[in-house]
This record gives sequence, structure tokens and C-alpha cells, in this order.
Amino acid sequence: MDATQSLRYFGPELVLTAAIMAVLALDLGLTARGIERSRWPGIVALAGAAAAIGSAVRLLRVPAREWLFGRMLVFDGFSVYFKVLLGLALLAAVWMSLGSREVRGQPNEGEYFTLLLSSGLAMLLMAAAANLLMAYLSLEFASLTSYVLTGFLRHNRRSAEAALKYLIYGGVASGAMIYGMSWIFGLTGSMDYAGIAAGIAQLDDPSRGAFFLALVLVLAGFGYKVASVPFHMWAPDVYTGAPIPVTAFLAVGSKAAGFAMLLRFFHFGVGAAGPVGAVTRVPLLQLGTLLCAATMTLGNLAALSQQNMKRLLAYSSIAHAGYALLGFVVFADAGVQAVLFYLTVYYIMNLGAFWVVMLIANATGHEDLPSYRGLAWRGGALPALALAIFLFSLAGLPPLAGFVGKFYVFGAGVERGLIALVVVGVLNSVVSLYYYVRVVKTMFLDEPRAEDAPVHFALNDLAAVGLLSAATLVLGIRFDWLLARVETARRIFAG
Amino acid sequence: MGHNVLSLMIFIPLAGMVVILCLPSRAHGVIRWMGVAATVPPLLMSVWLLEHFDPQTTAPQFVQRFAWIPAYHINYFVGIDGISITMVVLTALLCFLCMFASFGIEKAVKGYFALFLLLETGMIGTFVALDFFLFFVFWELMLLPMYFLIGVWGGPRREYAAIKFFLYTLFGSVLMLVAILYFYFAADPHSFDMTQLGALLAKKIPLDVQVLLWVALFIGFAIKIPAFPFHTWLPDAHVEAPTAISVILAGILLKMGTYGILRINYGILPAATLAPFWGGHSVAFWLLAALGTLNIVYGAVCAMAQEDLKKLVAYSSISHMGYVMLGMAAFTPQGINGAVLQMFNHGTITAMLFLLVGVIYDRAHHRQISGFGGLASIVPVYTGVTGFAFFAAMGLPGLSAFISEALVLLGAWQQYPGLTIVAASAVILTAGYLLWALQRMYLGQPNEKYLGLAEINGRELFTLVPLAAIVLFLGIYPTPILNLQSPALLRLNEQVQQAAAPPPPDSIAAR
Amino acid sequence: MPVTTAVFYLLAAVTLGSACGVAFGTNILYSAFALMGTFLGVAAIFVLLGADFLGVIQLFVYVGGILVLTLFAVMLTHRIDVQVSNRAVGRLPGLVVVGVVATWMIRVARAARWTEGQPGPPAATTAGIGDAFLGTYVLPFEVASVVLLAALIGAIVVSRKEVKG
Repeated sequence: MDATQSLRYFGPELVLTAAIMAVLALDLGLTARGIERSRWPGIVALAGAAAAIGSAVRLLRVPAREWLFGRMLVFDGFSVYFKVLLGLALLAAVWMSLGSREVRGQPNEGEYFTLLLSSGLAMLLMAAAANLLMAYLSLEFASLTSYVLTGFLRHNRRSAEAALKYLIYGGVASGAMIYGMSWIFGLTGSMDYAGIAAGIAQLDDPSRGAFFLALVLVLAGFGYKVASVPFHMWAPDVYTGAPIPVTAFLAVGSKAAGFAMLLRFFHFGVGAAGPVGAVTRVPLLQLGTLLCAATMTLGNLAALSQQNMKRLLAYSSIAHAGYALLGFVVFADAGVQAVLFYLTVYYIMNLGAFWVVMLIANATGHEDLPSYRGLAWRGGALPALALAIFLFSLAGLPPLAGFVGKFYVFGAGVERGLIALVVVGVLNSVVSLYYYVRVVKTMFLDEPRAEDAPVHFALNDLAAVGLLSAATLVLGIRFDWLLARVETARRIFAG
Repeated sequence: MGHNVLSLMIFIPLAGMVVILCLPSRAHGVIRWMGVAATVPPLLMSVWLLEHFDPQTTAPQFVQRFAWIPAYHINYFVGIDGISITMVVLTALLCFLCMFASFGIEKAVKGYFALFLLLETGMIGTFVALDFFLFFVFWELMLLPMYFLIGVWGGPRREYAAIKFFLYTLFGSVLMLVAILYFYFAADPHSFDMTQLGALLAKKIPLDVQVLLWVALFIGFAIKIPAFPFHTWLPDAHVEAPTAISVILAGILLKMGTYGILRINYGILPAATLAPFWGGHSVAFWLLAALGTLNIVYGAVCAMAQEDLKKLVAYSSISHMGYVMLGMAAFTPQGINGAVLQMFNHGTITAMLFLLVGVIYDRAHHRQISGFGGLASIVPVYTGVTGFAFFAAMGLPGLSAFISEALVLLGAWQQYPGLTIVAASAVILTAGYLLWALQRMYLGQPNEKYLGLAEINGRELFTLVPLAAIVLFLGIYPTPILNLQSPALLRLNEQVQQAAAPPPPDSIAAR
Repeated sequence: MPVTTAVFYLLAAVTLGSACGVAFGTNILYSAFALMGTFLGVAAIFVLLGADFLGVIQLFVYVGGILVLTLFAVMLTHRIDVQVSNRAVGRLPGLVVVGVVATWMIRVARAARWTEGQPGPPAATTAGIGDAFLGTYVLPFEVASVVLLAALIGAIVVSRKEVKG
């Protein structure tokens, strides 16, 4: 489909681009008039994100499966599903930013929202890219904006350090990835995934080694985006250093976009689901299994001793990337479906957890665990309860949404016969319970001491958190509608 | 109300929880009575169930079933049969009584009673769920309230005890989750139906995999029972938990382990149960009979060494649950009947013991056995009730535990004479630690510190008397309960034995 | 060995050697100058492959623009000596890893059958690139412009002066 026809299916991206320009122009106008700390850039950004979601939701009903822009992007249920999810992540990040002390009223707020929206745009492109060129470009776009957003806190050394670390790791990972892509191009002679799949189907035996090496290199880039071991090292520092809304956006948005690329590349480009000989003869399954088990285990073990909530959630998000990777390792539609489901659930509960952490940071000025001591008994009962719900859900306890997500992922693993990996996964959830419960214990079981000041939370700040915790509860009991959604979204367009 | 009585039993406490959450947190009195009010309907319904239950039908009764998540063949499917009816009754009864035993709670009353009712929902749900997914949800649902109930309202080391309980149980249940998923995908058509899975899977899974699954499930249940060596959470949790929660833990939660083995290991994997395991003996011999006997002896020996009365009772629970394991491993009518009866009897007796410990702790604020003495002359009524409970725990003829333990030993004798001799001799140990404690605390010179100790009050007596009456009644006339459970248990027994063809060598030798 | 192959290896050696100079140089000024070798080598490889326009652009943008800017930045910075705080860490293991990976890569690369384009007669590529940008590659082209905009804004945010709050 050529460019003009493609625009019909390009609504969310166009809306976001317009919003970016609008925020930029508005900020310029406000600055020219000497108006400082206006709320408007944020509100326009919020409206832009909401409009993008609206546009994506409208596309949900379009059954078409097409190439867009001359084999650069694809349009399918899978990409639209991710666009809705990423749009929601963006919306939440903007909403959080409007209530965050780290962002609201700070200098360069307008630029912040511009960058945040750009980051969202980049992730939407990632979800639809089916061409090595677009994949690389969109991934770098997302990374670039994330670096700046991470370093947004100018007075905070940790923030600057995190941005630099992010940049360096990102440079290495994307360098490895583009090198791997060049090999893939060299082996298959094609940049779009359909051509790659066709080229791989004709690979001869001696080329297998090179093909596998190229896949490993490409995985480095994807692994970096989803924060999988061994490309996870940036995550704890970046999550800790970045402003909380950015952290939340990276944790739920960036990860989801990374998974979208990963799944599309392997299920379409490499053709993991199809009967492609070259794939079955390279140790991809073993590599995936290893990465998955290592990611779950390392993430959880490292989280055990964390004292800073953001850092704890960073390691926990690494572990969750591991659970989601289990769905990837399944290399079948059932696995894709499980990952989609898991990422959705993960979006709700992890976002909720970060939101509460932000509210508490706003109220107390701290993010470390000791400042949560006895929170439930000194005015913070509602946020403490919400955080407990999110954390138990992250640990995977029924009847919360996280349980269903894990159940589904592990189910896909068992169906495929990956029993050992599933056992590693379930044992990891036991380990993870320990550190999640440690937070709950600090909030509920520990008595507040004299130096712990009472805290106050305005009810309207808690609205979003309440919404998310209700969603966590409801999705744990009624998830058939979401199942139906991911069922239609799981079929990745394949040429 | 026949078709939805079980759902009402499950969800009325939940509704009570919601109501309590809406009450102002200062209205302690209202909250307490609301808690009681929410436990009354399940109790009445359980009595109604006893009346309308047809013991001759081995299929589940009062079944309610509708699709919950059709895409994954998950149903909301509840029902009771001979295996679960006594447990449901026990749960409803103990929850009701424990509400009264919880009136002394002063800290965050609202949270306590709300969580307690949530716990009751989880417990009843676990016993009546017949869909594996539903079962698992209820099973795990109990963990959260239990964690908080121990952790917030418990004793000095409550945080440690609560997290230990939580992690142990979760460890067991995640293994169960893997087994559930395996069952689901192995069954054709895919299914979570606990009543059908056994038939659907009969020839589908190779025997060695079945044994592996059996062991995975067993570990989950053994932690709950708790069977040696998975028992270490129990003394901590029981000692730190507030009185009513100890009662629930010992009275109901422990039974879930043995109930799960009967319902799931026996029901779904009958062939693996009597499969050869090691040294020419079967899985059931090693993991149930031998471990059960070890439990009996180990629990009794540990109990003898305890200085803390509550810890003593906790270890006695380990010991008494051993009889259940031994009995159910025998695969004789007496054995399995005795085991399930013992589950009920232990539930009532241990509940009394923990309530009595709570009574003395509320007054003296410690539980050291050596710190008391001559209580008989100070608080005679209390001493009388305690003596009754102790004798019941000892298995004195005329009281309920005697019947069940005798049945277990009779049943086990036919299969495992060696183990039975050991188990029977352990009765002496039981008598030893109980009588010794009785002597140190209640007889002898009164401790001057406690001369003014208040006698047991009406509310406390109210929680104890119904239990004592049941213990006495079942000690004299156990037939009603045996009639209820026997047909279903015998059928289960038969299923397992039929599936285990050819019979393993040890069961032939024993005959 | 054909002449073009020999020239390629020569250029590759220059590029890689200069890159090593950038990475391992102790003086940041020398590193910056070594970078020029890398850029020039890459430009020359473009020309060798018949991508004359790209080669020239590479020269203009990287050598003429970015490198000069870098040099300015280096010269205007007060401290130009680099303090490597953990020099001892990982040199040897790093070398081993690089050696192993490189051996693996060379082995599999030599074994593989690569798709090869047919070299056509040398021709100017400028018009073709222009066409492609507005035809097949219009989306990446446009997205790249948004990326540049974001990068610009990002640069402003990163380098802004402290505003008194």
C-alpha cells in the first residue's frame, strides 16, 4: 500500500505528531509571553495521548491486514493492540507527570511533554515496524527520547548518571543489533520481514552459523529494550534516577514496545511459528530458555535486598520481563497470546505500583523503604492498601490479575512441554513474594515510630490508583473479555 | 435453596466483609456483632446440609455449575460429597465460635473481622470447589488474610511467623499450579473438572510422570498438613497467631492438606498412589504411612520438650495429623474412615485446646507451663474444661478421638503392622506430655502470683461447650458421621485399589 | 586477490585502527583526531562501493561538521585529561571475549553463503537517493526528521542553563 493510502491506518501516529507540534508551539507561545509554569502543555499532551488512544481504538475494529508505506510498517490486530496499550501507557505517564513534584512546575516542562509524546510516537512505530530499517529507526528514536527524559532531573546527580549509563548501554546494544541486522540483510538480501522470511527459508546448511550469530546480535537490541538478562544492567540505575512518571513509562511502555518488536521479528521475520527449516536447526529455543530462566532468576534474586522502592520495582520488572519471555520461548501463537495478556496485566499492576510510589514520594519526599514504615497507620491506609494489591498481584496471587497473567504464561509453557522452565518460573514467584511482602510488611506490620510524620493524601490524587486497583481485582476474576481481545490480536501479520 | 446453598455459604461471609468495610472503624461493637452475624448463615446452612445430604450418593451433591471463563474451560463448579461434608460443617462451626473468641481484639478491629470473613470465604470455597482452577483460587485466597491476621494481630515474633507461613504455603501451592496446568493440557478435552479429570487422564500420562505429579501435589499438601520435614512453619505460626487464628489454622487449614490428598492425589492420580516407589513399597507407604508415623512420634516427642503451652498444643497437632496420614494410606475401610473422622475430631479437640490456651494467656499474659501451678484450686471450672480437652486429645475411650484413632490403627494394622505398632505406642508419649503438662500447671502448689486469676467467663465457655458436646457425643455415638462419609470414602478407596493393578508387592505381603 | 578487495581491506584496516585509537587513546584530543581517520575510512568505503553521494555527505557532515564541533567542544572544555578510574578491570577478560567472539564470527562468516548484488556500471546516485527518499522510503525519511526534532529538543533540555526556581 502506498503512502497516501496508508495514512488511513496511521491515525494514532498522526495524532501524536500533531500533539507534539501543538505542545511545542504552545510552549513557545507561553514562553514568549513570559508565562511560566503553565499547566497547559501538560493538558494538551494529555489530550493528545487520549486522542491517539481514541484513534487506535477505532482501528481495533478494522479487520484489514496490510503492508503500509511500501513494506515499512504493517497494519494488523497485533500492532493495533499494542498501539492501544502503548497509548494507555503514554496517557498514564502524562497524567502521572501532571501530579508529580519532580516534573510539574519545573523548568523545561514543555520540552518534557514534547519528548514524552515523541517517545510514545516512537513506541507506536516500534509496534508496527516490519522492516529492519523502521525497526532500527523507531528503536533508536525511542531510546534517544528516553535518555533525555531519564536525565530530566537537573539537580539530581543520580538522574544525570542514569541517563549517561542508559546512553552507553543503549549505544552498545543498538550497535550490536544493527550489526546483526546487516548480517541478516547480507544473508537474505532483504530488509522487510517477508523477504527475510523467504530468504531464511532458502538458507543452506553452512549459513546456519552466521544466521544464528545474527539472531544473537539482534536479540541484544531487543533484550536491551525489554531489560532481559544480560542486557538488563541499565535498568536499576535508570529506574532509580529517572523521574517516577518516566520510570513508569519505561517500565510498562518501553518494555511492551520491545516485546512487540521481538515477537514480530521472530514470528514474522524469522518465521518461528512456520515450518522454516533454518530456525529449527539453530539452538534458538535453548538460547531463549536460558535467557528466560536467567532473567527471572537474576531479577528476583537481586530484588531481595533492595531498600529503594524504585530500584526494587526495577529488579522486579526485570523478573517480569523473564516471565513474559516464557511466552516468547513458546514460539507459537499461544505464546504470543500469553505475552499480550501478560503485558496488559503487567501494565495495570506495575503502573499502579509506580503511581503509589510517586504519591508517597510526593507526600514524604522519599522513595526508600524505611519511609514506608507503618504507612497504613499514619494516614496512608488507602495508598498502602492499593500498593499491597499491586504488589500481591505482581507476586501472582489469586484472585488478582497478576495471577491470571502468570497462569496464562505458564499454561502456554506447559502446553509446549517446557515443564522445567515453568517450574523455574513458579519457584521464582515464591522468591518474588518475599520482597513484595517485605514492602507490605513495612507498611502494615511495622509500627510507625516517633520520627515518622503523619501523611495526607488528597482523594482526587488517589483516583487513578483506585481505578487501577479496581482493574487489578476485576481482571483477576473476569478476564474472558481480555482473552477474546488477545485472541484476535495474537495472529501476527505474516506477509 | 438446594442448588445454591454452597455458593451462599461461600459468599455470605464475603458480603459480611464488604459491610464491615463500610462501617465506621470506631464502632467496635457493631463490627464484632456484624462478624458474628455473617458467620451464622453458613452455620445454619451447614446444619441444613447435614439434614439433606444423601450419604448413599457418592457423586457430588448440591452441585452448582456454570461457565466462568469458557475460553479456558474454567467453570464455577461447587458441590459436596462424603469427603468434604464434615469439613464444611467444621469450618462453619469453628468460624462462628472463633468470632466470639475474637472479641478481645482491640487493634484495628475492622480490619481483623473483615479479613477473618475473607478467610472463611476462602476456606469454605476450598472445601466445596470441584473445579481445579476455582480450588486453586480459593486455596490461595486464604493466604492473604492469614498473612495479615498473623502478622498484624500476632505475638512478638509475628512478622517472622507470618512470612514463613506465607512462603512455605506458596511454595507448595506453586508446585500444585504446575500440576494443575499439566493435568489441563494432558486431558482430552482440556479440563479443570476435578470430578472428571481422573477418568480423562487414566491412561494418558505415563506412570512415572504420574508419580512425579503425585509427589509435586503431595509436597503442596504436606506443607499444609504439615508433614515432617515441611512442618517447621507450624510451631511459629501457631504460637504467634492470635487465639482464634490458631484455632482456625489447626482446626481447618491443616485438614486442607489431607483433604487435598484425598480429593486430588487419590481422586485424579489413583494409579500413582499405589505405584511402586522405592524399596518395593508404594508411594502411599513411604509418603503417607511412613511419614505419618514419623509425624506421630516426632510431634509427640517435640511436644514433650515444650515449655510453652501453645507450642505444646501446636506439636500435638503435628502428631495427631500423623494418624490421618497413616489411616488414609491403609486403604482399608476402617483406615480411611478413621482418617477422615480423625480430621473432624482433631478439628474440634485442637480448637478447644487453643481456645483454652487463649483463655489463660489473656489473663496471665504468658504461657510458660512452669510459670503456673495449682491452677485447679484457683480456677476449677477452667481446669475442668482443660482436663476434658486434654483427655480428649489423649484419645481416652468415650471421647471422639478414641474412635477415630482406634479405627486408624485397626485399619493400618491390616496393611502395615510394623508402623502400626510404632504409632500405637506413641499414644503413651501423647499421654505423657499431656498429663505432665496437666500436672505441672493445674496440680501442686498454687503459684502466688495467680491467686487472683479470674475464672473462665461466659463468652469463653460459650465457645467451648459446643465443641465439648460434640467431642462427647461422637465419642459415644460416631455412627452419624461415619454414615455420612463412608460410602464416598469406600468408593474412593476402591478406585485407588482398582487403578493400582497389579497391586504392589507390599500390599500382597500384608494380606 | 582483486584490487578492489585489497583496497577494501586497506580501508577497513585504517578505519578499525583509528577506531582503536579513539577508544584506547589517553588524551582526548588525540582521540578526537583519530576519529577523523575512522570517518575518512568509512567515507572511502562508501566511494569504493559506488555510493559516491553518501561518501561525500559522510565527509561533509561527519568530518566537516561533527568532528570540528567535537574538537571545539574539547578545546573549550577546561579539563581535557581523562582519568580512567578503573583501568585494571576487564582488560584481559575483555580481550579473551573479543578473541573468542571474533574467531566465531570469522568462522561462520566464511562458511556462510552471502547474497551478492550485481555491480553495475559506475553512475551518479544522487538522483536515485532523492527519488527513494520521497518514494519507497518516505516514511523513514519523515520519521527521521521527527527524530532530529526530538534530538534537538533533547539537546536543549540537556544543555540548558539552570533557571532559578
